Amino acid sequence: MSWAASPAAAAGGAVRGDQPGQPGGPGRAWPVPRSLRSASGALSVVAALVIWLALLGPVITLLAHLSFGAIGHALSYPGALDPLEVSLESGGVTLAVLFAFCTPLAWMLARGRLPFPRIWEAGLLCSLLLPPLVIGLLLVFMVGPYTPFGELIGHFNLTATNTFLALVIAQVYESAPYYVLGAQAAFDSVDPRLEQQAALLGDRPRRVFRRVTLPLAAPGLAMSLAVAWARAMGAFGAVIIIAYHPFGLPLQIFTTLQETGLASALPYALVLLVVALPLPLAAYVWSARARGRRRG
Amino acid sequence: MSGAPVLEADVEVDRREFAVRAAVRVAPGERLALFGPSGAGKTTVLEAIAGLVPLRRGSVRLDGHVLTSTQRPVLSVPPWRRQVGLLRQDPGLFPHLSVRENLAYGHGVDPDGSELADLAATLGIAGLLAAMPGRLSGGQQHRVALGRLLLAHCRALLLDEPYSGLDASLRRTLTALVVTMVAERGVPAVLVAHELADAQAFAQQLAVLDHGAVLQVGGPDEVVREPASRRVAELVGYLGFVPVVPDGAGDYLVADRARAGSSDRLTAGIHPDQVVAGRVPGRGLVLRGPLTGCRPAGAGWEADILCAGQTVTVRLPARPGTDDGELTVTAAGPPVFGAGDAAVPPGQDRPVTGPAAPRSTAS
Repeated sequence: MSWAASPAAAAGGAVRGDQPGQPGGPGRAWPVPRSLRSASGALSVVAALVIWLALLGPVITLLAHLSFGAIGHALSYPGALDPLEVSLESGGVTLAVLFAFCTPLAWMLARGRLPFPRIWEAGLLCSLLLPPLVIGLLLVFMVGPYTPFGELIGHFNLTATNTFLALVIAQVYESAPYYVLGAQAAFDSVDPRLEQQAALLGDRPRRVFRRVTLPLAAPGLAMSLAVAWARAMGAFGAVIIIAYHPFGLPLQIFTTLQETGLASALPYALVLLVVALPLPLAAYVWSARARGRRRG
Repeated sequence: MSGAPVLEADVEVDRREFAVRAAVRVAPGERLALFGPSGAGKTTVLEAIAGLVPLRRGSVRLDGHVLTSTQRPVLSVPPWRRQVGLLRQDPGLFPHLSVRENLAYGHGVDPDGSELADLAATLGIAGLLAAMPGRLSGGQQHRVALGRLLLAHCRALLLDEPYSGLDASLRRTLTALVVTMVAERGVPAVLVAHELADAQAFAQQLAVLDHGAVLQVGGPDEVVREPASRRVAELVGYLGFVPVVPDGAGDYLVADRARAGSSDRLTAGIHPDQVVAGRVPGRGLVLRGPLTGCRPAGAGWEADILCAGQTVTVRLPARPGTDDGELTVTAAGPPVFGAGDAAVPPGQDRPVTGPAAPRSTAS
C-alpha cells in the first residue's frame, strides 16, 4: 500500500507531508531512484542527461560568454531598450489577436463544428510548414501597399509594411498555426460528456463554455499561448521582409551582429531569452499545478 | 418542485443500422427499466428524452409540457431547459470543482445551504465536501453525481447503466439509494440496463428492447416467467429450447426429432433456474437426456443435457447424479412458443397472434 492510498487520503482528509518512518526521513539513507538501480537504467539516465545538456548548449554558451559589464555597456546606449519595448508591445497585441480570433476556430475544429474538418486542418498544417521567410515574401504580395488590402487600409492612413501593424501581422502569421493546433488539442482533451452534463444541469452553451470547457482547457490553452508567445518574440524570417522597421529584438540582434560583431549582439540575445522565457515557464508551472489540483 | 411529473415519450430515432422506436409512460415515483442487449438502442431512447438526439418522429412530454414534438407546432426544448437529469456509467463530475462545488452546480443551489448538507449526509458524502473528484472512489463519485442531480431538482431521472462498472455489493447499495430517493422525490425514473438482475432490482416495470424495438413490457418477474416471444425468453436468460407436442391433457411432452422438424412445431423455453431434479410429472415438462457437461455455479451446479437434439442448461442445488449417463429433470411450467416464435397461452396449442408483439404498453 502506498502512502497516498491510505484510508485517510481516500476519504479526502489526507495528511500531507512526511510521515514518521517514511523513506527519506531522519536516520535513513536517501533512497536511490528506481531508474538508477540497474546498469541499463543508469545508462539511460546518463544518455538522457547528455541529450538534455546538448539541447541546452546554446543557452549555456550564451551565459558563459557574457559578463555583467558587457550587458550593462551594451544596454546603456540611448534607445538600446527600444527594441525590447517594441517586441513586448507587438507580442502582447499578437497574443490578444490569437486568443480572440483563433480560440473560437480551435474550439470549432475540436468539436467538429466545421464541415470537411480535414481540409481545415490541412490548411493549418500548410501554414505551419511554410518557412517564415516565404511567409514574409507572400505577405508583401498579400498586404503590401499596392494590393487590395493595402489600398483598403490606406484609406485609414495605415500601411502593412515596415510599421508596427506589419510587425504584428508577421508575428501572427508565424505563431498562429502553433496556437490553433495546440488550442485544438486542449479543447479535444475536454470530455464532451461533461459539457453535456453541464447543459442538462441547466447551463446554456455560453455558460457551459465559461464554467466547464474553458477552465478544463485552460492549462492546454496556456501552454499553447506560451508557445505562440515564444514564436512571436523570436519571429524573424517574415519580419525581416515585411517589417524591417520598427526594430524588435530579433532584428536588433541581427543588425548589431552585422554592424558591430558577434560579441555586441550577445547581450540582446540574453534580453530576448529573459523576456521570452518567463511566460512559458509560468504557463508550465500553472498548468502543472492546475492538473495536480484536479488529481487532488 | 411543482406537482408530480409524468414522463411520456413516444420516440422514433434514426440510427445508422436501424431506427429505434419506443413508447414509454412513467408515473411520478415510478421506476421503469429498459432492458436489452448492448446496441439495442436503449441509450438512444434516454438521449431522445433528454433532448440530446433529434427525433425522426414522436414526442416527449414531462408533466404535460411538450419537450419535443415532430408534429406541428414542431418543438424541441433545449437540454438546459428540460430539467431532466441523466446519470451515466461515468459519473461525469467536473474535475476542476470540489465535491461541494459539483453538488451546487445546478442553478439556485446554495453551496452552504442546509439542503446540500442534509443530502450529503443522506448520501454518506458529508465528509468529502472539500475533496476533489479525482480523490474519490467510484462509489463515492456516483453518490456525488446522484446528489448533484437531486439538488438540481430534476423532474425526471434517467440512468444509463450507471453502476455497471462497480462491484455487486456497491451496485445493490447504490440502487437501493436511488430507489429511496426516487420514492421520496416522486420523480419518474428510467434505468437502462443490460444485466437483468440490475433491471429487476430497480424497476417496477420492465421493457425489453431489442434491435430498436420494444418486445415486451411487464412486471420484472412477469417478463421472465411469461416471455412474449422466444427472443424475449433468450434475452431474459432462457438457456434451452426443446420441441414439444401437446399431450392432450393440457400439458406438453418432449417431441421426437422427426416431429420437431414439422412446420407447426412448438418449442418450450427452459429457464435454468425453473428446474427441479428428477421426474415430477404434474409439475411441468419432464426432460431426459445424456449429461454433456457439469460445473459448479454459485452455490449450486450447472448441467448441460442433450434433449431432443437440443442442449439445455439447468441449474440444480446439488451436483446431479445420473442414471446410465442420463439426467432427468422437470422444468416447471415452461413457456411454449409456436410458429413465429410468439408465446402460446397456457391451455392452447397455438399462439393467439402471429409474430411476437409487445404484450402491453409501458404505463
